[in-house]
Amino acid sequence: MPSFLKEFFKRNGVGMGSLMLGLVLFWTIGLIILPQLSMLDFSFRPNLPPPEIGGPKDVYTLENYKYLIFGPEGGSQDYNAVDLRVFFRTLVAAVCVTVFNLIFCYPIAYYLAQTKGNHIRIFALMLIIPYWINEILRAFALRIIFGETGVLNNLFVGLGIFDTPFDFIRNDIALYAGLGYAYILLMIFPIYNVIESLDRNQIEAARDMGASWPMIHRRVVIPYAKPGISSGCTMVFMLSAGALAAPQILGGPSSLWFTQLIYQQFNDNSDWPQGAAYAVVLLVTCILLVLAIMRLFKVNMGDIGK
Amino acid sequence: MKSFSFLRLSVWFYLAIFFAYLLGPLVIMSVTAFNSPEFPRASPWECLTFEWFSALFQDERILNGIWNSILVGAGTVVLSVAMGLAGALMLTQIWPKLRATYYTIIIAPILIPGVVLGISTLVFWDRINRMLGLGVDSFLSNGLFLTIIGQSTFIASYCMLVLVARLQRYDIALTEAALDLGATHTQAFRKVLLPFMKPAIASAAVLAFLASFENYNTTTFTFGEYPTLTIELAQKVRYGITPAISALAFIIVVLTVFAALANEANIRRKELVAAARKDATVEELESGRMRLPNFFSSNWAAVGLVVLACLTVATVGTATVYSPQQCIADIREQKRLETEQRIQELRQRRAEEAARRAAEEAESGADSTGGQSKPAAGGNSSGFGGAFAPSALGGDSSTDDPDTGADAAPEQDSGSGFGGAFDPNALSGGGDDGN
Repeated sequence: MPSFLKEFFKRNGVGMGSLMLGLVLFWTIGLIILPQLSMLDFSFRPNLPPPEIGGPKDVYTLENYKYLIFGPEGGSQDYNAVDLRVFFRTLVAAVCVTVFNLIFCYPIAYYLAQTKGNHIRIFALMLIIPYWINEILRAFALRIIFGETGVLNNLFVGLGIFDTPFDFIRNDIALYAGLGYAYILLMIFPIYNVIESLDRNQIEAARDMGASWPMIHRRVVIPYAKPGISSGCTMVFMLSAGALAAPQILGGPSSLWFTQLIYQQFNDNSDWPQGAAYAVVLLVTCILLVLAIMRLFKVNMGDIGK
Repeated sequence: MKSFSFLRLSVWFYLAIFFAYLLGPLVIMSVTAFNSPEFPRASPWECLTFEWFSALFQDERILNGIWNSILVGAGTVVLSVAMGLAGALMLTQIWPKLRATYYTIIIAPILIPGVVLGISTLVFWDRINRMLGLGVDSFLSNGLFLTIIGQSTFIASYCMLVLVARLQRYDIALTEAALDLGATHTQAFRKVLLPFMKPAIASAAVLAFLASFENYNTTTFTFGEYPTLTIELAQKVRYGITPAISALAFIIVVLTVFAALANEANIRRKELVAAARKDATVEELESGRMRLPNFFSSNWAAVGLVVLACLTVATVGTATVYSPQQCIADIREQKRLETEQRIQELRQRRAEEAARRAAEEAESGADSTGGQSKPAAGGNSSGFGGAFAPSALGGDSSTDDPDTGADAAPEQDSGSGFGGAFDPNALSGGGDDGN
């Protein structure tokens, strides 16, 4: 038995120690690492009926990834334009949602963190309550509002701004509003946590030195809040790129989200390896994008989730 | 001073917009639960009705979904709190060089898209199942098992974060003292560490249950024979929405507000009691005659709680005696008249349209300008019905491809679009409500 293991058992006792070790190993290896590796492995295999799995046809292939880029073999187009367009649209839209949420939430987080008083607790409660409501129901609520005869259309037509109802769903406005809506709290909370620990004296000092409000935010608050901002942005980006419920409920009939393609591969086409390949592409791209942005803004991975 | 008050005003204005965006949808959704039209909407207001609540309670699938959700939630809470606690304890003891890697691994599931977690769980356990040579209906491919496993993967990370925050304030000397005094490791854990961690474990459990209850992305790949409430809701919402869903949402909103207010009132109460104790003299404390603050004094949450409870009782009371039949009959009669009038108008318009089209076709044959103006009209009118049709949501995007759409579709498309709009049945039936 290696010495560090011996020490571990000495410290925790054999029973407790092995229980702890067992749970941690089950979680990290059995639930996190192996399933991901298994999915990666699966994505390189052809789609075979169950009896043929493990047979001579079960060899590694790049076909599933080729399909995403070049489309079906012998297809009329050089590239799989439909899927690729969905893919890039998803990424760009997720970035837009993240930026919108950051701009929208930063003032609120700053205000909540730097103001004292009883009403702040009411605000905090009002922030958290929508987050406890089911994701599907939140999307459903927006569907009611943005629908053809929804509240917004009735309002606009009633006020005479539009002549005919505006199709918010077909124009994806409902989808972006829904994605932004779903992850507001995940943006506010990390920023709030960091700004709350900012010493008010620093802001006072900057003000005494004659800095304007934009200057104070640019030079004092934002640099200090950077870990919170990056952690909020990372979460919102990853979650909105990986969102499935909001696009299914609020997306227009002609605009798909990349996760919907994955879902179709799994549930409608029963092509698991293809779906796994798409999932791997989504995961790897998102992680690379997040790492690149974090490198750009010089933030550490350890700051995430604080 | 003037600019200061302007700043204040704009802050309040911003807050108002923010909370309108945050809470407005929930309020409107709740209102639709009490309006009588078949399609959930807040305006125009027709009749106050409670029938959607009774429709909800008669829905077998929803009730079954709630039961499955509770089963999954219970399993997830147990598994993820246990793994989260073990993970948190391990984080404090692990070899420093490994700590960063370890932390990255256990925090990663929060960032991995839920879809990917669901797929990897499904694929991995399917493979284990095959390696062990078990059949398709074995325990490992059971929906309940897979869902609990899949959800716990990332919910354990949330739990770990909550537990680590409290564990950092734990003095390890306490455990050492217990061991020195002759306790076994299990006893030291159960009698010293666990009581200290209890509040954090409770909040981790609540968090885990809520996260499990509302999870969709992971569950949608793993649920198998056990659709949870969220899955059932998603299927209902995608294939036609009714105010019964609003009714369910309203119940959840009320329960949530209730729980939040109760929690807040409790915290506030404790603070007030602590403050009163601090001010009290020793004599008052000893004799037990210290005047505790009134439950409602300066405790807005408690007041809100009672108001909400009264409102709930009043609503339920009204629901049992109230009958909207007369109002609904009136509205129906009014609608029938309107529909008849509209059918008349449409007949007239159709006659005009037919005449105009005949003239147009006579003028220019199958000419390209005609082909371009029509699909726009066709797409428009079919779009109204199409937005809510189930097939449109799941439909693939290739039908909207401009290449194929421009040549083949327009004639047929515009035909079906007009046909649907002019059919009197569609107007008096679902079409009217649907739009």
